[in-house]
Amino acid sequence: MDFIVNLASGFMNLFTLGGEQFMIWVTGIIPTIVMLLVLMNAIMAIAGEATVSRIAKVCTGNPILRYAVLPFVSAFMLGNPMALSIGKFMPEFYKPAYYASATYHCHTNNGIFPHINASELFIWLGIANGITALGLDTAPLAVRYLLVGIVANFISGWSTEFTTRFVEKQQGVTLSREFKIAK
Amino acid sequence: MAEYRSIRVERGAGGFGGPLVITPTAQRNKVMYITGGGAEPECLQKIVELTGLTPVNGFKTNCPEEELALVIIDCGGTLRCGIYPKKRIPTINVMPVGKSGPMAQFITEDIYVSAVTSAQVSPADGSAAPAPAPAPAAQSDKPKFSADSKVSETLARQENKSIITVIGLGAGKVVNTFYQAARDAIQTCITTLLPFMAFVSMLIGIINGSGFGNAFASILTPLAGNIFGLVALGVVCSIPGLSALLGPGAVIAQIVGTLVGAEIGKGNIAPQLALPALFAINCQGACDFIPVGLGLAEAETETIEVGVVSVMYSRFLTGWLRVLLAYAASFGLYA
Repeated sequence: MDFIVNLASGFMNLFTLGGEQFMIWVTGIIPTIVMLLVLMNAIMAIAGEATVSRIAKVCTGNPILRYAVLPFVSAFMLGNPMALSIGKFMPEFYKPAYYASATYHCHTNNGIFPHINASELFIWLGIANGITALGLDTAPLAVRYLLVGIVANFISGWSTEFTTRFVEKQQGVTLSREFKIAK
Repeated sequence: MAEYRSIRVERGAGGFGGPLVITPTAQRNKVMYITGGGAEPECLQKIVELTGLTPVNGFKTNCPEEELALVIIDCGGTLRCGIYPKKRIPTINVMPVGKSGPMAQFITEDIYVSAVTSAQVSPADGSAAPAPAPAPAAQSDKPKFSADSKVSETLARQENKSIITVIGLGAGKVVNTFYQAARDAIQTCITTLLPFMAFVSMLIGIINGSGFGNAFASILTPLAGNIFGLVALGVVCSIPGLSALLGPGAVIAQIVGTLVGAEIGKGNIAPQLALPALFAINCQGACDFIPVGLGLAEAETETIEVGVVSVMYSRFLTGWLRVLLAYAASFGLYA
């Protein structure tokens, strides 16, 4: 009998935990992202489709801007996960690649700028604590983490273009290479 | 008397619906505008020039519905923008408003178009575009002759629009733009973000609740002792599919990070390896979050389907490279 009770409560626990995670996201992410979306939608409506497309084209025109500069700036300004919303200014085809790069940028810059991803800080802090325990300064590690990160994240982002092309063929779909405002 | 021509109206920036083709007939020969307390909308002049329709100010006069070829409104998303679509009269809204208000279900793309300025209005027959060009010039004086006196009175008043009207119209437009932006934002939340969050949350609950996360973390930690182990750790963590299971909330990466940090603190792992370890333990970074993250970028469903697989592949392909890169950059660190 106890076995069945344990099984049942263990089973329910999986969904209680899932529900808690859902609640954390809904209360933690949704309010901020809605405010940001309102502002971005309004700016796009006021500026007009032509202007937004032109700016998007400039910002996303080459791989270095797409996977090194733009995600770095977005991560610094908006933090995790809002930085990912900047992907909306990309053509559909580049969105997975931007995601691949921007999510890493939300980690590798976390050593110097902990505000970027406070909730996942222990990836950095866990290891950095070991350095502190040895009586060493963590700053050099943080700087190298960031610098290596920029190069590595760029590679990760750019290479995702190739895997996206591969998966496109696999699934028999073609994503748009042209920027259009999502409706 | 008048000669009527069709026009094509497309939606403007942030707009909804259309393109509409408006074809006036001898019976349906009026365009009514119900905008900003009787102020003339910016696109009206061009519509009148191109179609030869008679403009009617809906605030001053009324007009039998059978005579209306077109209605122009500046409704921010309440009642007005549904009334004429419901009557199946083509409706142009100068505000960027989509399906909304109590009559939202009548606002469809074949009868309604919004965020229209004169730039969205063009002659219906694209090929004949050069030919009608001279015609509007001749036609441009027409309203003065054919319009009834009330309309011309209105037009006259338009010439010196009071500053109050200008401010009022401007404020209205700003408020409406933001209102519509907010509506779109909520729509994105409901249709894209919340469903993906729910689905990924359920997976996370199962992974964390079943103890899979902690068990896996204790298996991975011993690998962190040397660079070969770290590369192996990076490869294992980023195996497509497994990476999605390891990702949730970066929990496993954080546990492994803390355990590896403890080993570094005890002197079992060289501090120099801290840098490649930072990359190795997080090769699976955000593989669980792909649908939500792409949802944040307002990606289409197709993109998400491709993106989930594509990002997992690229994580797998570049994971080991990131570790090696970090290893190469770690020389001289804490030496």
